[in-house]
Amino acid sequence: MSKAVPQPVTQLIDAFSRLPGVGPKTASRLTYYLLRAPDEVSQSLADALADLKTHTRFCSVCHNITENDPCGICSDSNRDTSQIVVVEEPLDVLAVERTGAFNGLYHVLHGAISPVEGVGPEDLKIRELVQRVENGNTLEVIIATNPGMEGDATAMYLQRQLAAAGVKITRLARGLPTGGDLEYVDSVTLMRALQGRHEM
Amino acid sequence: MRIEHLSLHNFRNYARLEASLPSGPILLYGANAQGKTSLLEAIYYLATSRSPYTTSDRQLINWNVERDMFAFTKIGAEVVSANQVMNRVEVTLTAGTDGLNGAHLQKNIRINGVARRVMDLIGQITVVMFLPQDLALVEGPPAERRRYMNITLCQTDVVYCQALNTFEKVLSQRNALLKRIAENEASPDQLDYWDDQLITSGAILMAGRQRLLRELEVKARRVHHDVSGGDEDLELQYRPGFAATASSSSGQLSFNVLGLDLNRQLNADTIAEQFRDRLTGIQGEEITRGMTLIGPQRDELRLMVNGHDLGLYGSRGQARTSVMSLKLAELEWMHDTIGEWPILLLDEVVAELDAKRRAFLLERINNANQVVLTTTEPDIFTPDFLAHTARWHIHQGQIISTSD
Repeated sequence: MSKAVPQPVTQLIDAFSRLPGVGPKTASRLTYYLLRAPDEVSQSLADALADLKTHTRFCSVCHNITENDPCGICSDSNRDTSQIVVVEEPLDVLAVERTGAFNGLYHVLHGAISPVEGVGPEDLKIRELVQRVENGNTLEVIIATNPGMEGDATAMYLQRQLAAAGVKITRLARGLPTGGDLEYVDSVTLMRALQGRHEM
Repeated sequence: MRIEHLSLHNFRNYARLEASLPSGPILLYGANAQGKTSLLEAIYYLATSRSPYTTSDRQLINWNVERDMFAFTKIGAEVVSANQVMNRVEVTLTAGTDGLNGAHLQKNIRINGVARRVMDLIGQITVVMFLPQDLALVEGPPAERRRYMNITLCQTDVVYCQALNTFEKVLSQRNALLKRIAENEASPDQLDYWDDQLITSGAILMAGRQRLLRELEVKARRVHHDVSGGDEDLELQYRPGFAATASSSSGQLSFNVLGLDLNRQLNADTIAEQFRDRLTGIQGEEITRGMTLIGPQRDELRLMVNGHDLGLYGSRGQARTSVMSLKLAELEWMHDTIGEWPILLLDEVVAELDAKRRAFLLERINNANQVVLTTTEPDIFTPDFLAHTARWHIHQGQIISTSD
C-alpha cells in the first residue's frame, strides 16, 4: 500500500482482507464505500462488530452460539428433550431448523475428527455430549455429521462412546437428492442409496 | 475408439487449434519444441485428467495468456466409439482473478455439454501411452510402477479409481493419527475407523493389481517371446506391500507366506482378511514408528527375464524391449477389457529402437484404430508404413501441412 493512502484506511483494508472469501480488491471496495457512506453506516457496523464477541457466548448445554445461556432452543419448554441432533458446526443447526421437521435439541461438536489437521476427539465437545446423555432423559441421539470421511470417523467414534449409555443411536440417511434425475446421480451416491433403501 | 476432432485453446504453445483426425496412424513430425508432444499430452489429459509430464496443471496454460486476468486453457475432443456413438468431452482450466499467482486452478469438465465430475471423465477416452521415460518402469523407483498400475486400472475400473481416491486420503489421516499416538496426543482406540477404511480400500487396490498383472503377464510373455525370437521369457512379479517391515529383512515375504496363493486370482475379501491380520500384528511397531508400515502404498512390481530381475541385472536394450512388450500387452489388455481398441500414443520411442524392433512395433500397432506418433526424423519410417500414414508437419504450435 502506497504512502498516498492514509494509515486508518490501509488498516481497515488489511482487516477486511483477512476475512474468508474477501480478496484485496473487495476489501478496498468495502473500505472506500464506508468512507463515502453516512457516519451511521460505519458506526452501526462498528457497534455490531463490538457486540459480536461481547454479547455472545457458547450455550453451556448444546455449545451452540447464543446470546443468553442456556440458548433459546435449550430453554424452550415446548421442545422434545428426548432427542438430540449432533452436528459439526453452528450453521448446521440452522440447516436442520430450516426443515421445520425436528423439534428436539441439538449438540454442536465444533468440528470433526481429522488427524491431519490435528483435530482429535478431545478437541470436540464429545465428553460434554456423553455426560449430557448419561445425565439427561435422552432416548435417541441422531448423528448428523457431514457424510465425508471425517464426519464418518466422528460418527463411529461417537457411537462407541455412547454405546454404554443405552440410548438409540441413529445416523442421517444418505442417498438421492429430491427432484434429482437418477441417470445423472454419481455411482457412489447411488450405491449408498441402494444400501440404505427402505421398505415401502 | 478414435478421436474425430481435437480442439485446443491456450494449451501449451497452441493458441488455438482445430484439427480433424483421420483413423489409422498419424505421424507428427517437425523440429523440437514445436508442439508435437503437447498434442499427445492433450489427448492423454482428456483421458486421465492429468498430464504424463507434469504434476502442475498450471504449466499447461499457454504462457502468452498466463498473466491475463482470466487465464484459461481448454481441451476438447469428439470421440467416436466402436459402436459409432459420438461423445464430446471438454476440460477447462481457469485461473482465479488474480492471475496465475497464488490462486489454484479451477477444473471444469463437460461431457456432451453437461457439467460432470473428474470421475465421470474417466473411461470416455482410453489411451495407452508409450514414452522414452517409460524405461523408468524397469529402472526407476517402485513409485513409478505403482503409478503405472494405477493409471492403467483407473482408466478401466471406476471402483478401483474410487478406492484409490479413498485410500490416499485414509493413508494420510492414519499416518497423522499414528504420529499423534506416538507422541501421546491420541489414544490407539481411535485407529479402528481408519483401519477399516484402509483395509477395505487397500484390499480393492491389491486385488485389482493382482488381476491386472496376471492378465497382463500372459500377453506380455507372448509378445516378448515373439520379439526376442523365443530366447527370453518375461515375467511380471507382483509383490504386495504386506511385508516391507523392519523385522522382515528380505522384504520379500509375500502372499505365499501368509497362506495366499498368488497364482490364483484373489478377491478383495480374502486379501482384506489377511491385511487385517497383519495390521493387527504390527500395530505396536506402527505406533512406535508413527506411520503406516504395510499396504498397497508399499507394493512392488518386478519385471523378470529368464528368472533374473531386469531392474538389477538387465541390459539397457533388454529393458527397452521389455517395456515395449509390456506396452503392447497393455494395448491388447485394454482392448479385451473395454471391448474396443484404445487410442495409442507414441512419443519419440520409435527412434530409440533398432530396425528389427521398430519393424515389430509398427506392425503390431496397426491393430489400434488410431495411433498418434511423434518424431523429429520421419525418414526412419519405411516407405511402406508412410504410405498408409497421415503425416502432419507441426511448427510453432500449428499444423502447417498435412498429407492424408
